[in-house]
Amino acid sequence: MSVKRIARDAVLTALALVIFAVELQIPPLTPVPGIKLGLANVVTVAALFLFGPWDAGAIMILRILLGGFFSSNPSAIIYSLAGGAFSFAALLLMRKIVNKKQIWAASTISAAFHNLGQICAAVLITRTPALFAYLPLLTAAGIIAGIVTGLAAQLAVNRIKKLP
Amino acid sequence: MKTKTLVIIISAVLAISLAASAILYFGGERKTAEIYVDGELLRSIDLAAVTETQTFTVETEEGANVIEVERGRIRVSDADCPDRVCVRSGWLSEGDIPIVCLPHGLVIRLSSGGEVDSVSR
Repeated sequence: MSVKRIARDAVLTALALVIFAVELQIPPLTPVPGIKLGLANVVTVAALFLFGPWDAGAIMILRILLGGFFSSNPSAIIYSLAGGAFSFAALLLMRKIVNKKQIWAASTISAAFHNLGQICAAVLITRTPALFAYLPLLTAAGIIAGIVTGLAAQLAVNRIKKLP
Repeated sequence: MKTKTLVIIISAVLAISLAASAILYFGGERKTAEIYVDGELLRSIDLAAVTETQTFTVETEEGANVIEVERGRIRVSDADCPDRVCVRSGWLSEGDIPIVCLPHGLVIRLSSGGEVDSVSR
């Protein structure tokens, strides 16, 4: 692994963490657990399309683990990891079927899967299948959040492509 | 894949999810509130039979939730969990979407209720 690659991924991880920490300061928009914009995923999505799965995966996992220390709720790491695993798997699949102008759509589908992963983790941890009642609400919220972060990632990838 | 196809798929899933959310949220009246901790039913309350406001505390290994019950509705009025999502959820009086406190493993949901012997209180 080249020094350049390590430095680049470290800077992107730091960027994702800053975005995550800033978003933590914004009060939740809804009283529904699990609904947030997830702006830090802009970095994951952009890194995947620019640099590939290994770099994007490493950045995402490091951001989740380190982000847990910034958060007042470290037990939430397990939900972030479950959501991260589902969304990253969806993102990898979507990367095979979308073109460079459809990154926003890959992000949107991936965000919906993130929330599916979180609900599955919640059902397993609390052993309460009734929590699946949140699935439609969180799928809708994931799609809306995914469109916003996806458009941001799309813009980022388009602009960065033009750099030398 | 064509952009149009992607837009149609995403819009369809969004529309179905929103419709299903509305159905679950306004799913009609439920009489019994069930309080679960880590998947085990801790307490079942007939909300229609509640005559005056009651408050009690559910202690779990992770912390405590103060639960308030009034006629026809229930809420978590206070909790020592980090995110307090359960408190912000407010009153639960209808539908199938539960109140949840993930840090404490606490879930409050409504059910149609099997018990019919309730008018006596």
